Amino acid sequence: MSWKRYQNELIVLGAFVVMLGAYAYKHNQGTSQVQEVQRVQSSLGELKEVIALKKIWADKKTTKKVASLQTLIPASKVKWSKKSKKVTATYTGLSSNELNKLITKILNLPVEVRLLDIKKTGSTYNVEFKCKW
Amino acid sequence: MGNNKDLLLVHSAMERVTLVESVNVMLTPQFYTLKKEALPVKYAYQAKKIAPSLFEGLLEEGGNYNYMVSKEEDTWAFIAYDIESITAFLETKGITAEKVSKIFFAQQAVNSFTAPLALNEKEALVVLDDIVVVVPRMALGNEEEPSLIFDNGFTPKSGVSLQGSSSSVLTQKQALWLAAVFMLFAGMFVVEGSRYGGNNASAGVELESLYESYPALQSSYTRQGIVDKYRTIDTNERKKRDAIKAFSGMIFKGVTLTSLHADDKGFQAQFSCASANVAKRVKELAKKAHYNTAKVKDSSDLRIEGTL
Repeated sequence: MSWKRYQNELIVLGAFVVMLGAYAYKHNQGTSQVQEVQRVQSSLGELKEVIALKKIWADKKTTKKVASLQTLIPASKVKWSKKSKKVTATYTGLSSNELNKLITKILNLPVEVRLLDIKKTGSTYNVEFKCKW
Repeated sequence: MGNNKDLLLVHSAMERVTLVESVNVMLTPQFYTLKKEALPVKYAYQAKKIAPSLFEGLLEEGGNYNYMVSKEEDTWAFIAYDIESITAFLETKGITAEKVSKIFFAQQAVNSFTAPLALNEKEALVVLDDIVVVVPRMALGNEEEPSLIFDNGFTPKSGVSLQGSSSSVLTQKQALWLAAVFMLFAGMFVVEGSRYGGNNASAGVELESLYESYPALQSSYTRQGIVDKYRTIDTNERKKRDAIKAFSGMIFKGVTLTSLHADDKGFQAQFSCASANVAKRVKELAKKAHYNTAKVKDSSDLRIEGTL
């Protein structure tokens, strides 16, 4: 038989083909692992971002925190209206210190500022503030 | 084994032949050396290991000998042969390596030689003391006329493959070494490939743990919806707060905030400046923060605005 003439070469060729197959298997495994790592990392990153964003902007304690805006300033200077998760507040005759205190507080609250309007009248300030969360 | 092919008896005085198909070859004792020994070994591979030492001094020097071992009743039969010289002889008789399927030795078919077998006019094969030998025909008695006919029935069960044919670039030993190396690499690749699966376990575990804590977020569509919603809020609210902080930084001696307005679209502040120099400084700060500035007509006031 003619193949017998090349029996040795065929043995080497067969082993080489097996090695190539094994290499292809390794390569595929490596590629699919990289894709899987990317998929998991992407899901993990997305999930962590969602959790972090929800922790800030969907905090259940926000309602309580917003309520402090009413008590921060003497009641005589505050007109307060709250409906569900929306607040409309009007502050009149605020001193510079009171204004600073109020703005600092607002900046640290995780709410959507719909309107912040500050106007200086004489030596005092009037503030209109609308937010939701 | 090999019974389906013609069996050709090869001896030193044979005529040249022309072969169309491959054949099995049976060699006369002219091409091998036989030795029988009773050895305390159980297996053929053990006997084969000590074969070279048994033939010391019996074989021609410079030959490259191989050995065939077979077990007889109480003894081991050793056949030493030089495959290269056999191959060379076969080629001189028109029997190329690729036409040889298996090589057998006459000794293997000792039981088939029930009578003398004529090789040519001068020589014959006979069995003496269970050994096939070549003898001159004139040494045979009148009643020992060669009458045996050689045919495929003489084919023994096992034979020798003709290795190292001239067309082969590699010897069998080299081929097996190379194959072993390739297979070793193949094994390493397979092991390495199968290990890839386990390397990402920690990230997977963390992901599963988060999924357990937040089952509602398992769907990527849900996650994307939430991300889109809160990312917009986060970006806009941070911009508003950064703007208000920047405006705060613009209030210093000689600067008074007269108004500030921030809503969903943008923000705007107006500052009263004590002098043109102060106004210039405020303007520089505003530009640094990438906000638009505009001077209020007929005053040193400055209006600064930006969009979300």
